[in-house]
Amino acid sequence: MSTNTFDLVVIGSGPAGYVGAIRASQLGLKVALIEKFNHLGGTCLNVGCIPTKALLESAKTWDKLGHANEQGFEIGSPKFSWNKIMGRKDKIVDDQRKGLRFLMKKNKIETFEGHGRIAGKGKVSVTHSDGKVTSLETRNIMIATGSRVRELPFAKSNHKGIMTSDDVLFIQEVPKSMAIIGGGVVGVEFASLFGRFGCQVTVIEMAPQILPFEDEETAKELTRCLKKQNVIIETNTKLTSIQDKGSAGVEVMTEGNQPRIFEKVLVSIGREPVTDDIGLNTVGISTERGVIKVDLATYKTTIDGIYAVGDVIPTPMLAHTGSAEAYHCAEVIAGKKPHKVHYESNPSAVYTYPEVASIGQTEKQLKEKNISYKVGKFPFSPMAKAKIEDSTDGFVKILFEPKYNEILGVHIVHARATEMIAEFSLNKVLEGTLDEIAHTIHPHPTLSETIMEAAHAGLGGAVHL
Amino acid sequence: MELSQVLLPSMGEGINEATLVKWLKKVGENVEKDEPLLEVSTDKVDTEIPSPASGIFLQAVASEGMTVEVNSTIAWIGPQGATIPKLTETTSGLQGMKRRSQDQVGQGTTQISAPTNSANIPKNAGHVPSLIARGGDFEELTLKRSSPLVRKMAFDYGIDLRRVIGTGANGRITKHDMDRFLASPGAFAEPVSAMNTFAVASDPLLAKVSTKVVDGKETLEGVPVKREKMSKMRRLIAEHMVESVRHSPHVTTTFEIDLNNVVLVRDKCKKAFADKYGFNLTFTHILIRAAVLAIQRHPIVNVSVDGDEILWKDQINVGCAVALGNEGGGGLIVPVIKNAQTLSLTDIALKLTDLATRARSKKLAADEVVGGTFSVTNPGGWGSIHSNPIINQPQVAMLGIGAIVKRPVVIDNDKIVVRPMMMASLTFDHRVIDGEGGAMWLATYKEILENWTEIPSL
Repeated sequence: MSTNTFDLVVIGSGPAGYVGAIRASQLGLKVALIEKFNHLGGTCLNVGCIPTKALLESAKTWDKLGHANEQGFEIGSPKFSWNKIMGRKDKIVDDQRKGLRFLMKKNKIETFEGHGRIAGKGKVSVTHSDGKVTSLETRNIMIATGSRVRELPFAKSNHKGIMTSDDVLFIQEVPKSMAIIGGGVVGVEFASLFGRFGCQVTVIEMAPQILPFEDEETAKELTRCLKKQNVIIETNTKLTSIQDKGSAGVEVMTEGNQPRIFEKVLVSIGREPVTDDIGLNTVGISTERGVIKVDLATYKTTIDGIYAVGDVIPTPMLAHTGSAEAYHCAEVIAGKKPHKVHYESNPSAVYTYPEVASIGQTEKQLKEKNISYKVGKFPFSPMAKAKIEDSTDGFVKILFEPKYNEILGVHIVHARATEMIAEFSLNKVLEGTLDEIAHTIHPHPTLSETIMEAAHAGLGGAVHL
Repeated sequence: MELSQVLLPSMGEGINEATLVKWLKKVGENVEKDEPLLEVSTDKVDTEIPSPASGIFLQAVASEGMTVEVNSTIAWIGPQGATIPKLTETTSGLQGMKRRSQDQVGQGTTQISAPTNSANIPKNAGHVPSLIARGGDFEELTLKRSSPLVRKMAFDYGIDLRRVIGTGANGRITKHDMDRFLASPGAFAEPVSAMNTFAVASDPLLAKVSTKVVDGKETLEGVPVKREKMSKMRRLIAEHMVESVRHSPHVTTTFEIDLNNVVLVRDKCKKAFADKYGFNLTFTHILIRAAVLAIQRHPIVNVSVDGDEILWKDQINVGCAVALGNEGGGGLIVPVIKNAQTLSLTDIALKLTDLATRARSKKLAADEVVGGTFSVTNPGGWGSIHSNPIINQPQVAMLGIGAIVKRPVVIDNDKIVVRPMMMASLTFDHRVIDGEGGAMWLATYKEILENWTEIPSL
């Protein structure tokens, strides 16, 4: 049995779990990693961030090909093979899975395939697919079991007409029409994907705007751009029923509307933590709507030696957030005293066309909290590089407090927004202000100049408008 | 009267730079030619520099504390209202100046701008460094590792960041630290008051005296002197002491204690102890043991202060000041008896003897002089009957033991008897210990010693 004794057992191998496992191992701990699915990497690598972004990149290329004539390329009318597009996505995922296997080996992390459950303090059981159980003894446990798609109780996925994001990643062909229930991050990304490949998409959102947690202007700009991608957005719209009528399609009813038929319906109403069958009851850890409460300085649960990170705790359900938490948590377990995860700098990223990236507060939130603020905003349209890259949609909008110009929120909408937001995250971590952004020389010509211009605009001295 | 630039004059062979100690005139004041204008310090001497011209002291180009190269411009003197020449960025006027050290580089607030065609300006005024108004002060205020936001706040509130304790990465001062500091009482006390935090070592050597060279001999107020650099240890002691009195409001209270019982107990086992252990059981051993017992009853003397929080400690680690001899010139070290709450009188005697012996032969390990939670000093050994110790930071109290002297005392039934008496003084940090707390501790200490029965294991 002694070989199954560890300093740390990590349950779940997603971007939180595997990062925590590697960091702990780097710090000299003997680490085991448990994964119940066939592949390491969790939602992010297998049915989340990576495959969706691979497909969205193909949509971007397809879009470019559609405009190739304008740039002087005479390629006739381009065609795509959905099969090959999916194949490319699968290969990227597979490569990353292999990379992850290698990282585990390199860091001497013992991986166990099966369903991990806490079996008491310092005890974890792994139930393998053949029903056999392996018992592990450990000084510490890191729960990183992640999340799964939330489903509508009255319209569960049947993997045919009614789908979740897990199913739609393996869809055989681009449907002619699709209703997307929920205009959150997942919903709008798939809308932008299938819309660009020719599917007539209808996004049905209950809230007054798509991306309800983003700034109002962001939602407005994205709505405007999605309309050009075969996407109809219906906000303030309540769903009443969904019925799969087989070959006739799926019937969707919304309040105050006639029933409509779509070839496919994607239900993307959010995600929920996976905590119901991981043995929390054996040690007395309670959850609130599935969420585990932890101390955000150490990620300790109410039970000594048991930690939780990533989607199972009440912080943003984002891969990079989970990774940061797990890295930090591993250092705590190894006895280091790391500085707290800096949630204020935590960026969100949406990979539609154009992309959306943000940190901090929205204008609405600032108004609700009665915080006084100023706005520095600059569009991409006058910028040379945006024209060169044929991506003039979007803007950089900076919200800052007027006394010291401390940055309160940043909202970027642009084809490459996600690559630009980190400048602001760093600014937040270093407690910079708008002045440092404005006084930083940005290379010309780049898209990032727009950031500097938005800062200048906030201080009253934008140049290129 | 015409505009004159004041250059740092040559002060002799081999002196290439000097540190500006003090301006003797204020900007705007009238200065006569040859009147002392500033004080500088060099490797060799400190001296006054006379003004090269008469006029109004228009601008100080170099600020106090700056090291300046010989022949660079340090000030402007001229008629009221004269325009001071400005420089282009490309002329890099600051080359004649440098900060005292690399790590003192603050915000880039030095600004140099282009010359104008003002008639009064000497043609060769090419290399004039000028700091923007308040720039020098801004740098001084913000020398500590901090963020742009914190520096803005510090400048806005006029806070000397050296007073703020940083909790961010590598001691960086964060917005949170600043908010906490601003909310604390005394945040707006004058800088350089007693509020300087212990976290930043001050430089007591900045407190300089000004000497003059008379007939080739350096003199202080007319008295010839010989300069000698402090040893490393002496300098550390100096810094530590200055910092401690700046940091903690010191209060000392003194009790007179009758050691009759202690002397009786010690006399009884003195010989047997020496025979068994090879050294004498001293009063110090018993006095430390008694202090540990008193601390257990009043643990407030065993804490540290962190901002507006009190750190209570699980251990009683008694630091004992040991003089290193050389007629007082050898310095001082404070080895620590760790976990004294678990040690018997014999254990304490053995431990202290070992530490003191090794302290004098410089064989202490680094961790044997840190971690003290309370300290004891015993100048009574040299005949002192009373002392006012300085607290050994980050502790909050130190016990000073006076000489044991036979005195006539009046006891219970108004009888006068001869008793071995000792003054015990406790210096404590009034931030956390009030007069009552200090007195209660000493009262307990007195009670323990006057009823002493504990004998060492023999």
